Amino acid sequence: MTNKFELSIISAESKVFEGKVENILVPGMVGDFLVLSNHAPCISSIRPGFLEFSEGTNDKQRYFVSGGIIEVINNMVSVLVDSAVPGDKIAKEDITNLISEVNDRLSAADTINIDDLGLRRNDLEEALKQA
Amino acid sequence: MPSLKDLKIRIDSVKSTRKITKAMQMVAAAKLRKAQESAERGRPYAEKMRDIVSNLASSVKNIAGDNKFLDDGSDCKKFLLIVATAERGLCGGFNSSIVKLAKSRIAELTSQNKEVKILTIGKKGREQLNREFESLFIGHVDLSNEKNITIDTARKISMDIISRFEDGEYEVAEIFYNKFASVISQIPSSYKLLPVSFNEKESDASNVSFNFEPDEDEILNEIIPKSIATSIFSVLQENAASEQGSRMAAMDNATRNAGEMIDKLTIDFNRSRQAAITNELIEIISGAEAL
Repeated sequence: MTNKFELSIISAESKVFEGKVENILVPGMVGDFLVLSNHAPCISSIRPGFLEFSEGTNDKQRYFVSGGIIEVINNMVSVLVDSAVPGDKIAKEDITNLISEVNDRLSAADTINIDDLGLRRNDLEEALKQA
Repeated sequence: MPSLKDLKIRIDSVKSTRKITKAMQMVAAAKLRKAQESAERGRPYAEKMRDIVSNLASSVKNIAGDNKFLDDGSDCKKFLLIVATAERGLCGGFNSSIVKLAKSRIAELTSQNKEVKILTIGKKGREQLNREFESLFIGHVDLSNEKNITIDTARKISMDIISRFEDGEYEVAEIFYNKFASVISQIPSSYKLLPVSFNEKESDASNVSFNFEPDEDEILNEIIPKSIATSIFSVLQENAASEQGSRMAAMDNATRNAGEMIDKLTIDFNRSRQAAITNELIEIISGAEAL
């Protein structure tokens, strides 16, 4: 029997998901990583992309997240996201909108963190391919 | 003594005022429920955010990295006061109590020779502060087009505040708002938004050593703007709930006062009518006696 752990996905405006899951695949800032139960404590930031987790062996749930933070501690995984949309409900246009939003900010003259925004755009374009 | 007609007009006008205040009270009650619900929905996120920041804090304490957002305990000269008020009036002492708190803080800081700047959120606070401190204003956020406060609004405000911080426009940011204690009690409060100072409170996770990905400094740069946006969001939500609570109480009072006034005026009206009748009777009787 596989061990399960508590997962809660919370966005600023509501709770997106809460329950026991077997594993979760996270689009981390430095690369995707998989969390299983008894994972070492960690805090990581999340880039825009798809989050995948499964409650049982067969089902798999997918959410598109536009960035956030994940904290793993004592088999409690909390994901704080800016926004999360179920993978089957996300439309390509939504991601395209996000990309154009980033482009707008890139073209704004007073932007300081050009590198960050550029990275964000790459991540979003990558996500668009997977959608 | 006002004439019967005058009294009648006054009673009617107070009655229509009562109708309006009654309606405003009921609208405020409905909006209050909504505001409270959305504040409650946002709470888990805010709590978790605070947890993570404090977990980070206990790890960061050990490393030497000095992040620009962290309080290094130095003496600060430039203060930014963010005053969050409502867009509308007719809500009792809601706006003026926040402004009063902010004003006393301004007086305190100026007496210590600090440089003070003001940024207001909401029209009412700007109106009241503009009279005295026009030269200190550096910005204003207009929320009149926002029916419900969204996290995006809070993010925009926090982005503005952070970019001003990075430009060195100020060193300390404090935010003023009304804390929602209960429907009938709102407490004007303030707290320090930037720089982030970690209280030494031990969290349950203080003994756990976390893996960070990427490193602490980058995570801090990522998480602090987010946590500021979250704080602003929760401040705005508390403010919205307080505003409606305050308006509900104020309108309830107004409705009751109007009711009392109507009773009083009705008694006056009845008396003068009776006086007129008595007068006429006396005239008739004395006329008959004279015959």
